[in-house]
Amino acid sequence: MRIFKNFRQALRGLKLNRGNTLLMTIGVMIGISSLTVIVAIGFGIKVKVLNRIANLGFGPESFSVIAGSGKMFFTRSKNITSMSLQDAEDLLALPTVRLVVPRQRKRMQVINKKEFTSTRVYGVTPDWQRARGWHVVDGVFLSDNDLDRKKKVVVLGATPARKLFKETEDPIGKMIRLQNNYYEVIGLLQEKGLTESGYDPDDRALIPLTTSMARLTRETHLHSIKVVTLDASQVPETMEAVRQVLRRNHNLSIFTEDDFRFITPEGIMEWVTESAQAMNRMLILISTVSLLVGGIVIMNILLVSIRERVREIGIRRCFGARKSDITLQFLFESVLVSLLGGILGIGLGLSISFGLKRFDILPTQVTWEPFVLSFVFCTLIGLVFGIHPARKAALMSPEESIRS
Amino acid sequence: MSLIEMNSICKSYRNIGFETQVLKNITLRINEGDYVSIIGPSGAGKSTLMAIAGCLSQPTSGEYFLDGEEVGRLSDWKLSRVRNEKIGFVFQAFHLLPGVTALDNVVLPLVYSRKTPSNIKDRAREVLAKVGLEHRLHHTPGQLSGGEQQRVTIARSLINNPPIILADEPTGNLDSRNGIETMKTFDKLVADGKTVVLITHDSDVAEHADRIISIRDGEIASDTASQSPAGSSSLSENPK
Repeated sequence: MRIFKNFRQALRGLKLNRGNTLLMTIGVMIGISSLTVIVAIGFGIKVKVLNRIANLGFGPESFSVIAGSGKMFFTRSKNITSMSLQDAEDLLALPTVRLVVPRQRKRMQVINKKEFTSTRVYGVTPDWQRARGWHVVDGVFLSDNDLDRKKKVVVLGATPARKLFKETEDPIGKMIRLQNNYYEVIGLLQEKGLTESGYDPDDRALIPLTTSMARLTRETHLHSIKVVTLDASQVPETMEAVRQVLRRNHNLSIFTEDDFRFITPEGIMEWVTESAQAMNRMLILISTVSLLVGGIVIMNILLVSIRERVREIGIRRCFGARKSDITLQFLFESVLVSLLGGILGIGLGLSISFGLKRFDILPTQVTWEPFVLSFVFCTLIGLVFGIHPARKAALMSPEESIRS
Repeated sequence: MSLIEMNSICKSYRNIGFETQVLKNITLRINEGDYVSIIGPSGAGKSTLMAIAGCLSQPTSGEYFLDGEEVGRLSDWKLSRVRNEKIGFVFQAFHLLPGVTALDNVVLPLVYSRKTPSNIKDRAREVLAKVGLEHRLHHTPGQLSGGEQQRVTIARSLINNPPIILADEPTGNLDSRNGIETMKTFDKLVADGKTVVLITHDSDVAEHADRIISIRDGEIASDTASQSPAGSSSLSENPK
């Protein structure tokens, strides 16, 4: 078949013009590797955001109030100490509020003899379980009694339980250490398993809020309050009521902004969609630019290469090559080069992505999309940017190319 | 029937408004098995005539029948096929693909031919043996001497078994010994029944042919039979 013969001639052409082949490959490689890295970073950030959302465990009738002003997950002021248990009690008194869960949160090491692991430790009230609807598979959940007496008891999530205890061992009744105090394991939370985004909801330990205040954080202010309304339709009016209560309790003048912020399911959805769209637009723009650059590199080098190879083209024409044969040969060369550059670019991009993740520089997430995208784009680049040089080569008069 | 039949061929080039007429009213017949030299000073239009004869360019006016087919107005596809099947080119500057072995260079016309013999490499070895290069199959042009390169070129022109060999100054880049060898090869080709057209400005080389066509200012100045018959050239007797 003629087309296969042209393909083989293209391979030979690339081999004989190694220098140009190398330059073109590098051009595409840089474009594709930056595409791969950018997409990986984009997905990495997305996953990180999704994790945070999953972390909050929302239902449609609930929202969170977080200490510190700002927007969503990004606080503008740290170490806000104004939110208190009194706030939580006042919120519970609102007519549309069914439950409130005041909460303290700290990431720390939990230790069982020689085994230890780092997990998120929450100081919560018994209402936490009702608000989340999360069952205990073994033992019991925290009780009002535990809270009143500031007992040193802990309910473990499945992940720290697995890391601290052997399979044959029953954790219930065992003592584990948090900082300098020993806590009795009284319950195990049902395992939920990793979420789609890779977030581990089981990586947590719960202790009574009062114990957390007295022994763990040694602070009396809350980090957040989760509010559950009677009905999802009451969320907006409840939020407004909560704002007024908190502003009054915190003695904020009308000129001062809130020292707390809300996170609602709708707010999250809106925010995620918005940022995902902005992110996607940016990704598309950057990728297009990098691929255009790669394509232009190919086109220019091919054009120069054709000038160097005028005689070769003339010889081929003398011995029976049609214009279409020459076009095909050069098109194959440009597509092959861009595919080769694409493969190398993906390799380089993946190494950079893994490197960024490994050394905690940026969160990256490797997905299959860049592979497909690169393959498609490289073929397109080869075709689009190869067609001009290829036609130019084919249209040269064989008589003149032989004489040059 | 004539293999090459040109009737009133004109060729002019347009260059920034000026029209230069390179060939004026060339009428020419070359029969199968002829051994023809086209001779003339540089600028006389020899190369243009060769380009038209070889279907590398098309005449501005006039008719050109090659093997009975009017090729003056053929499409690129058909013209390419004619070049591939009817004509073998030999160039002064060899025009081999650099970096490619002698064997692969010789195979080139088969890349573009309609019917590909199954034993391409055997066929290439055969023609290379015919020009005495069976020991140089895997050498690239850079590793071959000028004479050897020209023989690879001749082997390449023969591989598709075309009836016509067009040679443009085949001895121009060679020393006299290799020049004689090359001319002997052409003599042998004619003896084997090929039609050979030599283009040269060297009268000694031209003398090899049976017929010498002299071109001057784009016109045929003379068309005479050669004094010395093929194979007994003055070149071989009185090397320069």
